Amino acid sequence: MKQVFAYFLAVLMVFGAWALVSFSLARAKGRPILPYPWQAAAAAGENIWTLLSAFGVSALRFLLALVVAFFVGLPLGLAAGFEQKLEQFLSPLIYLLYPMPPVALLLFLYLAFGLGEVVRLVVVVMALFFQVVVAAQGAAKFIAPTHILAVRSTGASRWQLYWHVVVPATLPSVLTAARVSVGLGITMLYIAETKLGILLPPSQGLGRFIEYYTFRADIALAGVVALALLGLLFYVLLEVLERRLCRWKYVGVKGAGS
Amino acid sequence: MIEVQNVSIVYGSGQGAVPALEDISFSVGEGEMVAVVGPSGCGKTSLLLAIDGLLRPTSGRILIGGEEVRGVRRDVALILQDAGLLPWKTVRGNAELTLRIQKRRESVDGILSALGLNGFEGRFPAELSEGMRRRVGIARALALRPKVLLMDEPMANLDSLTRERIQNLILDLWWEMGFTGILVTHDIEEAVFLGQRIVVLSPRPARIRAILENPGMGEHAYRGSPEFLERAQGLRRILEANG
Repeated sequence: MKQVFAYFLAVLMVFGAWALVSFSLARAKGRPILPYPWQAAAAAGENIWTLLSAFGVSALRFLLALVVAFFVGLPLGLAAGFEQKLEQFLSPLIYLLYPMPPVALLLFLYLAFGLGEVVRLVVVVMALFFQVVVAAQGAAKFIAPTHILAVRSTGASRWQLYWHVVVPATLPSVLTAARVSVGLGITMLYIAETKLGILLPPSQGLGRFIEYYTFRADIALAGVVALALLGLLFYVLLEVLERRLCRWKYVGVKGAGS
Repeated sequence: MIEVQNVSIVYGSGQGAVPALEDISFSVGEGEMVAVVGPSGCGKTSLLLAIDGLLRPTSGRILIGGEEVRGVRRDVALILQDAGLLPWKTVRGNAELTLRIQKRRESVDGILSALGLNGFEGRFPAELSEGMRRRVGIARALALRPKVLLMDEPMANLDSLTRERIQNLILDLWWEMGFTGILVTHDIEEAVFLGQRIVVLSPRPARIRAILENPGMGEHAYRGSPEFLERAQGLRRILEANG
């Protein structure tokens, strides 16, 4: 309940600050620059169905990208961190590719995948994928040796070692990394939906929605707010997931003992 | 039951080679409890890991029940230093770990209640006292009903009361379950309390300095008896000889 109230307060503060900025800008420049929150809200109300549809499409796109990035990145990252031979071979490769911004490759991606749904997914997946790989690799490198020994001494197979130790030991840091990279992911989603979405109607993604209404500042701004809410949604989702899956992280911290 | 024959272990090779164990030989009869005592860092743990099949000796060999050890055996259980519990598993999950990995269906309820852990099955290790954590580690090993129990400093870093309680517990369980035990420790009193025979190792690289018979061992009351104190002093003298 307290959490809900805190979020409510945060929303109120953001809107207050926003109104203040709109007001000061209008006074300083002598003409309206940034629409007021209530103007954006009214614009959102007028275009609610388009906006909701754009939100849904973007959310689905992001979710799919997140799932794909996890399913491919997690095993690769864990193996690259846990298997020493693989690490020596893969580490330079990962660190060479990791800092490379997918945006810089937009032209080639477009040529390779065309302007369909696939290319938009690829851009977002590429950004999230390396975040997951690097986080998983880092965490898998520093698993406590006693935990590995405990499971090895039971005669566990390689697969069981991953299931009982490597995955649960690294899950908290991987989920935290995923949460942190939501911001980057949303940025990439926006770029994918604008630069690679020029053929779409405004209802097919928030990036496209914002771009489509470039000259209607109030509507465009409503789209930006929706994009921020989309980021918040995934942030909260990943936090809930972490609290569920890593319950052991949140027990006995304060006043541990019999 | 267990034969350790001329076992040497060297870590690394060439210039950087570090010898840990040198020509260790001893044997443990069925149902016997042997304490291996030596200074900290002398290679005791390496010896235990080799007997468990997790570490291949550089030379020499180890036999259990007449078969050479070539990997982890299902009738051998290991209690790790500081219990080695997995923090993401509950008490039950930790106690069941080995059974589940070996796809065995026995229940751990009996052993958990024998060790006073019933009611705590759903707790995580972080919610337990250190003494309880050690008991979960013991439960995990004994859930297998092992023929051989290997113990790596199971009482290290415990307060003295808890240490005595766990020592008594291990003694009782040994009488009850009749496993063959090897206990590795650097604690002199503990070795005398729990070892029918005591293998004394030198500082690294470890060699056998002496093997002492300790016939009085076997009851809680042994601790503190004149015979006990005398043995402990004798053992201390051997350990202290030339540093």
